[in-house]
Amino acid sequence: MVIVRVLERKLARDLWRMKWQVLAIALLMACGVSVAVMANSAHKALINAQMQFYSDTRFADVFVQAKRVPRSRVFALGQIDGVAMVDARLQEIGLLHLPGQIRPATARLISLPETPERYLNGIDLVQGRMAQAGPTNEVVALKTFLDAAGLRLGDRLSATLGGRVISLVIVGAALSPEFVYVPSPDSFLPDDAHQGVFWAARSTVERAAGSSGIVNLFAFRVVPGARVESLLSAIDGQLVGYGALPAYERKDQASHAFLQAELKELSTSALILPPIFLIVAMTLVHLMVTRLIEVEREQIGLLKAFGYSDRAAGWNYLRLAAAIGLVGVVLGGLLGCWLGAAIVGLYRDYFRFPQLSVQFDWTSFVVTAGFSLAAAVTGSLVAVSKAVRLSPAVAMQMPRPATYRAGLFDRLLPVAFVDQSTRMILRSLERFPGRATTALLGLSASLALLVGVQFLFDSLERVVDTTFYQTQRWSDAARFAEPRAPGAVVTLRRMPGVMSAEALRIASARFWSAGHQETVRIVGLEPGAKLHRPLDAKGRPMAVAGRGLVLSQALAQRLDVRPGDLIWTEILEGRGTKVALPVVGLATDYSGLSAYMARRNLNRLMGEGDVASGAELLIATDAKPAFYQAIAQIPQIIGASSRDDTVMLWRNIMERSFKTSIGFYLAFAGAIAFGVTYNLGRISLSERGRDLATLRVLGFSQSECAYILMGEMAVLCLAAVPLGLLSGYGLAQGLAAAYSRDEVRLPAVIGLPSYGWAVLLYGLAVLIAAVPVAVRLWKLDLVTVLKTRE
Amino acid sequence: MVAPVSRSFHVSRRGSLPVPNFRLEPEAAFTVRGLSKVYRTGAGEVHALRDVNLDIVAGEMLILLGPSGSGKSTLLNLLGGLDSASSGSACFRDFELVGASAAALTRFRRQSVGFVFQFYNLVPSLTARENVALITEISDRPMTPEEALDRVGLADRMDHFPSQLSGGQQQRVAVARAIAKRPQLLFCDEPTGSLDSESGILVLQAIAEVAKEVGATTMIVSHNVGIGAMGDRIVRFRDGRVVDVAVNPRKASAREMGW
Repeated sequence: MVIVRVLERKLARDLWRMKWQVLAIALLMACGVSVAVMANSAHKALINAQMQFYSDTRFADVFVQAKRVPRSRVFALGQIDGVAMVDARLQEIGLLHLPGQIRPATARLISLPETPERYLNGIDLVQGRMAQAGPTNEVVALKTFLDAAGLRLGDRLSATLGGRVISLVIVGAALSPEFVYVPSPDSFLPDDAHQGVFWAARSTVERAAGSSGIVNLFAFRVVPGARVESLLSAIDGQLVGYGALPAYERKDQASHAFLQAELKELSTSALILPPIFLIVAMTLVHLMVTRLIEVEREQIGLLKAFGYSDRAAGWNYLRLAAAIGLVGVVLGGLLGCWLGAAIVGLYRDYFRFPQLSVQFDWTSFVVTAGFSLAAAVTGSLVAVSKAVRLSPAVAMQMPRPATYRAGLFDRLLPVAFVDQSTRMILRSLERFPGRATTALLGLSASLALLVGVQFLFDSLERVVDTTFYQTQRWSDAARFAEPRAPGAVVTLRRMPGVMSAEALRIASARFWSAGHQETVRIVGLEPGAKLHRPLDAKGRPMAVAGRGLVLSQALAQRLDVRPGDLIWTEILEGRGTKVALPVVGLATDYSGLSAYMARRNLNRLMGEGDVASGAELLIATDAKPAFYQAIAQIPQIIGASSRDDTVMLWRNIMERSFKTSIGFYLAFAGAIAFGVTYNLGRISLSERGRDLATLRVLGFSQSECAYILMGEMAVLCLAAVPLGLLSGYGLAQGLAAAYSRDEVRLPAVIGLPSYGWAVLLYGLAVLIAAVPVAVRLWKLDLVTVLKTRE
Repeated sequence: MVAPVSRSFHVSRRGSLPVPNFRLEPEAAFTVRGLSKVYRTGAGEVHALRDVNLDIVAGEMLILLGPSGSGKSTLLNLLGGLDSASSGSACFRDFELVGASAAALTRFRRQSVGFVFQFYNLVPSLTARENVALITEISDRPMTPEEALDRVGLADRMDHFPSQLSGGQQQRVAVARAIAKRPQLLFCDEPTGSLDSESGILVLQAIAEVAKEVGATTMIVSHNVGIGAMGDRIVRFRDGRVVDVAVNPRKASAREMGW
């Protein structure tokens, strides 16, 4: 027992002596563990909150929106094979005038279910009380909207609904599974302050809509195992003639789809990043233990000479490696717990669930902890097994000088060009190719991470620029309740401050091609439109004229069509025209799936006259308040968007969500650069310490010695730069693919400043790591070197 | 106690014995006065060197003998500018080592001192020639590495790496490295401590010959009393003090020495 205690004491002292190296490696492992724990914990918290919320509020499986459906049709919809329950509501959309806001918000007034036990898409009342029927038009507002717009219970709002201005009184605030995330109609971003969602008694909504006995919003619960495809067709079939858009599944519901994409991003982070940290940490453990064993070769021989078994001698070092892993795992668990809570805190502002509580994902912790410990032990296994194979006599002998030979560098570089110090650096690199490669890969990984994660900023900037400044060049847009003659656009054009106005016709359509099917909105543009121009791959505006369709590249890819191909098109509004249209061009855009055609041609296909569903406008900034005040009086306008608001919103979201997570990753990447450089420096100093002290004795200055020691690190750090930048670009492409979704496809673009920042941060991390090594070099003991063998 | 230095000069001046390497008015390479070194450890103070006085004459070969811990290596370290004294004075020509800055000591070692270590301390990644070139590259008027290696009898081993050389050969490379800069001072700390007798003799022979050729004042620290025979004077240490400085009446060559 005494034997074990002595070895344990040695282990503890070794760990303490190498504490900074141990910490540097453990921190890398901690990064790996914490990213996994953070991402999985946040994932788990979101999934649990989502599932609980969906179940409590009976979130529907299938949705459909129509114009006017008599309530009597609801029974028939409930009879469709596979439908377990149908919930029908009335929804009226209009404009909402908010005190203190220039731009009116969209008001979406939805009727509350009348039978408490038979409903879908319930709401969770979090404040106040339910709205009662009555002349005061009581409503329950979406909590997200209430908070963002700075409203309170009891506030009275004025809305233009069904062509009339009515007043609404907020009596309660609620959360809804349909609106966990509320995208604005003109971008995929949540615009909470301008998306007013209200629930009121059916009579109140009917009064606002000016009709009774009508419903237009349907939700379905599907019998488990039912064939959803045929069920969707059956629903569509039942609603033909009622102005219905195609029925869609939960996976296509905006709020749910956005949530799922967010969850996928979290899983991606949990999968891509931890292995990078663990692999780097594993190789560092290998290098450190290999060096430790070289230094302690004699001690191993001594232990064996005294009768310790190979296993006991080796076990000591394996435990050392495992101890490093353990420190990393504990730190990683704590860090992951903290980061997980921080991320969930962020999500709380972003996704409104009644119960989004912090969770600790034990499974991911146990799995990554296992991997970390295995990585640490595996990293040291080779060195340990080599050491215990030495016979005690050999181990205790004075080691022969390390074997070197003239190599590639000697052949490439003539004698006259290279001084001996440089020669030492080059030969060391050549003699330990494994170590050099490991360091190079570790450093490149760090730089790649620094470059790769920054791509999100550049990529999103490109998306903003292309979408809101190159393709859509309007400053504001107005949507009409019903298609209107171009005269309405001319009226808008004449309003104060409006410099330009272009009519727009938007209609939902379904495309078929080669077995693929997509439902998208066709945007009908004026010929020669200046405010909305699809761009080709080279960024040049494309003409939208004639019968043909211009499709976004993403849509063309999904449908597997090229310019010149014919594509089956069913216009889902109007008379439901089915026609084959030629694809005349592909547009490069980054958000949504778009199809463009000439407005008048779209009008013709739909069998309607010369009409527009809205207008895109260019308005002088100082004239906007007057303009919005004026359109607030026009009941036919039910929505207004502002590019500046959207872009500002975008930047706020970036600020809030991406910067934090990218901040984590940048810190982690810095940790890799620091960990690799520091450990490499310490190992190098341990190997070279005696040589360098000898050179100091022989008259070399500290800076000349620093050149030899740091030269090798510098070569590797510099060599890692091009490799890191390239891999960073590769990583950005991978992340772009992983993070892209239907709403936004991220281009893998990285701007020069991002490369610059990455290299700067990398250089800083490397320099910080070099400082403690340099301090040790400065304090080299010159006397000892005279008397000690290595 | 009478200062050992005066006693030694007394001996030499009085001498009926021949003093072959001494000029009549010897030029002092080093003047050491009251030199002491105290290490402070957790257990208290350790007096490694106590009040040493010594005049070292340019070009002479001094053999420092004494048991372990007697202070001989400490003196070598202080005179070599590797360590700083606690008190006293050590003057090399006009340069006072005690209290000199680290940079000044580095310059002193670089320009004036050649070192030979017990464990050779060659850079394993450089060949014999390159190990010597390492020093000639930073020296003012060095001999070529080839010349230095030739002088220690290793002309045919110049492109060998240390791992391809025997211990004795490695130590001779170290000697070549030390003298290649034509140092005024050559300090050897147990240069044969890790060698067999045959290799040791070759190394000592090399040291003696090249030191004489470059005119270096040489100090050799050793446990081996027999080595004393090759010095001009023998300085004996005990408990951090110089207890005796004796002139060697008949300087023997390395070959003649008893091992």
